[in-house]
Amino acid sequence: MNAIEVNGLEKNFQLKKKTPGLRGSFRSLFRPQIEEITAVSDVSFSLKEGEMLAFIGPNGAGKSTTIKMLTGILFPTAGEATVLGFTPWKERRLMAYHIGSVFGQKPQLWYHLPAADTFQLFARIYELDDAAFKKQRDFLVEAFQIGHLLHIPVRKLSLGQRMKCEIAASLLHRPRIIFLDEPTIGLDVVAKQQIRRAIRALNEEDNTTIFLTSHDAGDIESLCKRVIIINHGRMIFDNRTSILKRQYLTKKVIDVRFGERLDSPFHLPHVETLKQGTYGVKLEFDAQAVSVEQVIQQIMNTRPFNDINVQDPPLEDVIREIYQNGHEP
Amino acid sequence: MLSTKINKYTSMTAINLQNQLAYIWDTLNRSLFILFIMFIFVQLWAAVYGDGGSPDREIAGLTFVNVIWYLLIAETMELGKARHDLAISEEVKDGSIAYRLVRPYNYLVYHFFHNLGETLVRMGLVFLLGLPIVLYYAGLPQIDWWIIPPVVLIMAGGMLLDFFTLSIIGLLAFVTEDIGSFRLIYQKLVFVLGGLMFPLDFLPNWLQGIARSLPFQLTTYAPARLFVRFEWSLFVDFLGMQLLWLAILGVILWLQYRWAVQRLAINGG
Repeated sequence: MNAIEVNGLEKNFQLKKKTPGLRGSFRSLFRPQIEEITAVSDVSFSLKEGEMLAFIGPNGAGKSTTIKMLTGILFPTAGEATVLGFTPWKERRLMAYHIGSVFGQKPQLWYHLPAADTFQLFARIYELDDAAFKKQRDFLVEAFQIGHLLHIPVRKLSLGQRMKCEIAASLLHRPRIIFLDEPTIGLDVVAKQQIRRAIRALNEEDNTTIFLTSHDAGDIESLCKRVIIINHGRMIFDNRTSILKRQYLTKKVIDVRFGERLDSPFHLPHVETLKQGTYGVKLEFDAQAVSVEQVIQQIMNTRPFNDINVQDPPLEDVIREIYQNGHEP
Repeated sequence: MLSTKINKYTSMTAINLQNQLAYIWDTLNRSLFILFIMFIFVQLWAAVYGDGGSPDREIAGLTFVNVIWYLLIAETMELGKARHDLAISEEVKDGSIAYRLVRPYNYLVYHFFHNLGETLVRMGLVFLLGLPIVLYYAGLPQIDWWIIPPVVLIMAGGMLLDFFTLSIIGLLAFVTEDIGSFRLIYQKLVFVLGGLMFPLDFLPNWLQGIARSLPFQLTTYAPARLFVRFEWSLFVDFLGMQLLWLAILGVILWLQYRWAVQRLAINGG
């Protein structure tokens, strides 16, 4: 059975525009200029139960708007969608028992109380019986490693600790689908990895369908087999992550800081030097032609370095490349 | 089945009670205002009644003791309010309303029960803080204790009515940037036409007529007046008016909520 079925989904917003200055302010009082903005346009896809999908795109691409339509918060302008057989915006409250959502930048835990109190509240709100609640809570405490955090007021937790509790809170009612909107935003590497591991465990244990939006290529690579890229409200890519990686995420960027001055131009085979400073270089290479390991080895052979940082190209570059290659979804 | 539904909503009340208790000093500080206002009221009305509050004198049928107890009840109703209109408006502005809407409950019912937790703590605090002053200057109220249940019923009706009004104001955040002005207008209307500063009985007849036909008096004046001078006919009047206004404001609120949810645009993506 398909967990999500989306057909021609569209969302327009009306935006009041104001010309600058005092005169503009007066004019917009009497004759407001209203512009219609298309946030999401003709989005269609389906997602099988148990699948993990990365739904990605730059800021303002329409990711959150799509999630909010699928969770029933926003009414679409046109198109159809079913989530677990429900029409989200018509059967929002019924559907709510079966879906979970995490909106990365917005807190749901009670700020002044320990997370355990919010967990208790959610158990009641989702009408869980005691045994089921305790079993799932123990599973989540284990998966997210938050046992020691449950009884500390949320305001005293670090961002990473809080996010782990936030996500766990959304999973107490064992939702069949979880919508994660930027769950790892602003987190350090360790917290990110813990969260990814927990999400994977959840998918394996419970066959939970995962719908993830993220800016972080790492989230996508390590979790999702399938990627949809959305830009200006339209889908521009819908395929396996391995294909995205093979075709577009091949470039890597390395920042190196050396312990000594660089006196001559820095050059390595198969590697392009993007920028060279007195003590550091920024390099780019194609990971298909030469491995990360090989490049680091080559750098180490030249001179000792203090710091090294390997990055994926920003999503914006990937999108630009998709456009340049004329790739159709 | 029913008990899980009841549990669901009482747990919202309970968690806000916990939250208030976690910040009891904060809540207490905000409630301290009652000390000043009751002290000033006592001095003011003692001067009006003469002889430091003459026990025999009546103004518009109310004695000094009546008036002081009236003001304590009225202030408890007003200062005890949880101000969820601000919470709604914040949720609309910062987009956290998204989290409220993905849960299996009704948004407004959630706010009502959530509100109740805070309101009960605050009302309790305000009443207890004001009580010593009232007892010292006015003594015990001259009432029959059996009137407490009907007065509490009118209090509950008043709280619900106030909840409806403030919800309507809070949801205005969908159309206007700042609901501050609407709150201010409502507050001032409660001050004067709601009988918060003095019983409506002291107003000139023509103004009393207007005030008595409006809903503002039903939250503060109604329970306070019944508490100090209980009359069954007045009780029936208040109850009828409350039911009428609950129906009117309830319909407005319901229509406004449906309209707002359909045109919802979440701020901040």
